[in-house]
Amino acid sequence: MSGYRLRKGKEILFILAISILTFVGILPLFHIIVTVFMNGLPVILERGFTFLTGTLGEGGIGPAIAGTFILIFLSSLIGLPVALLVGIYAYEYPDSKIGRATKTLLQIMLEFPTILVGVFAMSVIAIPMGTYSAFAGAFALAIILMPYVAVYTQEAMRQIPFTYREASFGLGLSRMKVIFKILVPLAKRGILTGVLIGMAKVAGETAPLLFTAGGLYQSYPTSITQPVGAVPLLIYTLVQSPSKADHAMAWGASLVLLLIFLLIFIPVRLSLREVKL
Amino acid sequence: MRTGKERLILVMLASAIISTTLLLTGCTNDNKIITIRTTGATFPQYQIQKWIDVYQKNHPNVKIEYEGGGSGHGQEAFLQGLTHIGRTDPPVKEDTWNKFLNTGDQPLQFPEIVGAVVVAYNLPGINELKLSREVLVDIFIGDIEYWDDQAIKQLNPDADLPHEKIKVIHRSDSSGTTAIFTTYLSLISEKWANEVGAGKTVDWPVDKMGRGLAGKGNPGVVAILKQTEGSICYTELSFAIEENLPVASIENKNGKFVKPTTETIQAAVSQVSSFIPDPTEGYREDIKQLLDAEGDNTYPIVAFTHLLVWQNKNGKHYSSEEAKAIKDFLTWVLTEGQKEENLAPGYVALPQEVAQIGLNAVNMIQE
Amino acid sequence: MTSIKTSLHFFFSRCNLRKSTGKVDLFKVVTVPAVIFVFLLFAWMLGIYFYNALPAFIREGLSIYFENVWQAAEEASNEYYGLASAIWGTVYTSLIAIIIALPISIAYSIFVVDYVPKRVKNILIIVSDMMAGLPTIIYGIWGAFVLVPFLQKYIMMPLYKHLSFIPIFSSPPITGYSYFSAGVLLGIMVTPFASAIIREAYQMIPFTYREAISSIGSTRYEATKVLLGYIKPAIFSGLILAFGRAVGETVAVSLVIGNTFNLSIGLFSPGYTISSLIANQFGNAFIYEHMLPVLYAGGLALFIIGLIVNVSGLYLLKRWEEIVRI
Repeated sequence: MSGYRLRKGKEILFILAISILTFVGILPLFHIIVTVFMNGLPVILERGFTFLTGTLGEGGIGPAIAGTFILIFLSSLIGLPVALLVGIYAYEYPDSKIGRATKTLLQIMLEFPTILVGVFAMSVIAIPMGTYSAFAGAFALAIILMPYVAVYTQEAMRQIPFTYREASFGLGLSRMKVIFKILVPLAKRGILTGVLIGMAKVAGETAPLLFTAGGLYQSYPTSITQPVGAVPLLIYTLVQSPSKADHAMAWGASLVLLLIFLLIFIPVRLSLREVKL
Repeated sequence: MRTGKERLILVMLASAIISTTLLLTGCTNDNKIITIRTTGATFPQYQIQKWIDVYQKNHPNVKIEYEGGGSGHGQEAFLQGLTHIGRTDPPVKEDTWNKFLNTGDQPLQFPEIVGAVVVAYNLPGINELKLSREVLVDIFIGDIEYWDDQAIKQLNPDADLPHEKIKVIHRSDSSGTTAIFTTYLSLISEKWANEVGAGKTVDWPVDKMGRGLAGKGNPGVVAILKQTEGSICYTELSFAIEENLPVASIENKNGKFVKPTTETIQAAVSQVSSFIPDPTEGYREDIKQLLDAEGDNTYPIVAFTHLLVWQNKNGKHYSSEEAKAIKDFLTWVLTEGQKEENLAPGYVALPQEVAQIGLNAVNMIQE
Repeated sequence: MTSIKTSLHFFFSRCNLRKSTGKVDLFKVVTVPAVIFVFLLFAWMLGIYFYNALPAFIREGLSIYFENVWQAAEEASNEYYGLASAIWGTVYTSLIAIIIALPISIAYSIFVVDYVPKRVKNILIIVSDMMAGLPTIIYGIWGAFVLVPFLQKYIMMPLYKHLSFIPIFSSPPITGYSYFSAGVLLGIMVTPFASAIIREAYQMIPFTYREAISSIGSTRYEATKVLLGYIKPAIFSGLILAFGRAVGETVAVSLVIGNTFNLSIGLFSPGYTISSLIANQFGNAFIYEHMLPVLYAGGLALFIIGLIVNVSGLYLLKRWEEIVRI
């Protein structure tokens, strides 16, 4: 029965191979998290609270953190309404020509090179305005945020049992009321998930901000039509400098960014059942 | 049916929004902070940063944002109005100057400090390296491939040069430091002038040979140098000092091998009666004027680096407070800033008459 | 003017803003403008790239895509640019990325669907999603300070020392910044995207197939081989989408690729990609008369590569899904 032995042997090799490969696949994440902690924590502990609230001159990244929050907030303000509406439309008309085209467009925009969005925002907002600004940065981020929220919204609405639709229409409600008053509230959790995941993504984006936000690290931002800093942008600048001090700051900032990301991402992800993208 | 997790998420969101709003409102109380932005050349980086540090300490409601990007980016940001004070090593070209004029405002250009371009290298154990004019050009043009080439050995008989290929590090961005260095090389070598030429960006022959590396800004170049054994680069003196890099002794016009020091740089400045044009005609300045100066103890690759500001006709580019702050800062830079205690290592103060030209320009800014 | 009117009329009649009762459907009135806005925005983006790249095409023609030169002269007439190096770098590094992504994403999908209990499965899926969403700058800083030195010391140097007669190993790994490093980093970054699609597809295979195969006495290994063959189009589609993602990555790549105008097949030489070229050069393009349109042309190329790749990937996936659902 050596044929059987051989097959059994292959089986074991196979299981070994895929386990190793899977392990190799997920190892980087853990290595990254550990490295960021190991390199960033000493920096933050050493400088304490100043690191989080001080300006660059004081050795801190406070303005960058503020900038990131402002950008998240502003880009959500700009992008969410459109995203929700588009997502709902895609849900309601999945088979119409426009509906299908919309879904395809959203998928394309999901993977679109973010640097191109940044350059677009620069030529359309920053240059005519004559200045880098939080607004320009938020505009670019909104374009990136939009497909995420739209797709998650559509999926969330799809999860609602058909009976709710039937019942509502059966009662004679207009489409507008059915969707916005009955179905959307039912899909609340899924939509919120999409919104938060979009925000988490946008918080970590760098390329769209390169030519739009400008960077502001010596003082706290006070206006959205003026340049603003952001944590990823600051890290990018610091990494390219030869000074060890700058690198240390970059690691500290990376840790802060990682924590912001994990803090939003993990709870959201844990409360969600799998969503098909 | 709010679950615990949902509540948590909403609380986080709310707190983020509230804290952001508080930050925004909290910072517009009492003294209004004026932010000035300066963008461009990384050649004067350490000096500008030192000036910013000192000035900000004495003027708490003025904040100065430093942005790098290279001379090219400095000129561009200045043109686009994306920055208040542009920094450029080489004087602006006439074409670009006309672009500035087309905005309707008057650009003003003047030098703020003197620096030197040095040749730094990474050869463990070798602290002295003499490079003659020919060898310097040949290394950077790619004709000399190995460190232990006869030509280099002849100049440095005591050095234990390795049999390794020379990796040449240059700039990837549009750089004034590159402009100064390549102008110098074009000056001393016809071969270089014909095959490569001078400019803020050039096509480096070593790239095609696979021995070229590019870094962004002087910091980027130095970062690569530190990690690459057997490499050579050109950068501003202050970077070599800050990062403890060995620099080569370059052969000057009189045939002497000089290291870049405050004395050898000052020798160059004093040899030349510098011609600095009127700030409204900045493009007339000749980048070559401090290069390859005469004198036994003169360092050959010395240059002014410049600032660009607008005259602000009819308040076109600066608000009244910004203009005031800019004038005050620049006046300080050209007077107090030139004093010994405010100079960063690797830079030399402007001669009095040159600083005066800058002050004339600053006085022209309309508030 | 009339043509605009007729096309608008055509569009709105297609849209049919009215319900069968003839009353205006408020829902459509509210949502359709949003949809139109998004389409217009996308078209606007494409238009801006075309419009701004046009001068480059007029001046240098399509050869701009095929030449490797970057002469940024101060004299406008001496400027000459070619994007070949950047285009090559983009394609090469993304290829390396999906070569790495292929075995790992397949292995991961099989492992997660077939071999682990539900608890572990959920954790592994969350891990994969985290990797997909992790800020790319963190990949970048880890890549530049950790991955590159590691790769240079333990993989590139040995390979170069012993196997440099093979062309792809023949360039010296000077600093570690290279196509290889960029490719590996990209591979790590895009694997989760491919995994998501392949895992979905693998999970979706009708149970009857699995039953059938094991009922004839196959080992797990043999069964998996057959099932994988079944979802081949999905695997292909997953890789294409991963390729599209790799092509567009900017920040992480620009920190590990070396940013040199090279056109080499040597894995360990530094190079450029279109996105890192744009990131690096945009800051000073405005003062050169002719550089800006060239960068836009590069962006346009990226736009089109991304578009083709994504659309074909999606199309394949959709076609396959339709077949499977029958």
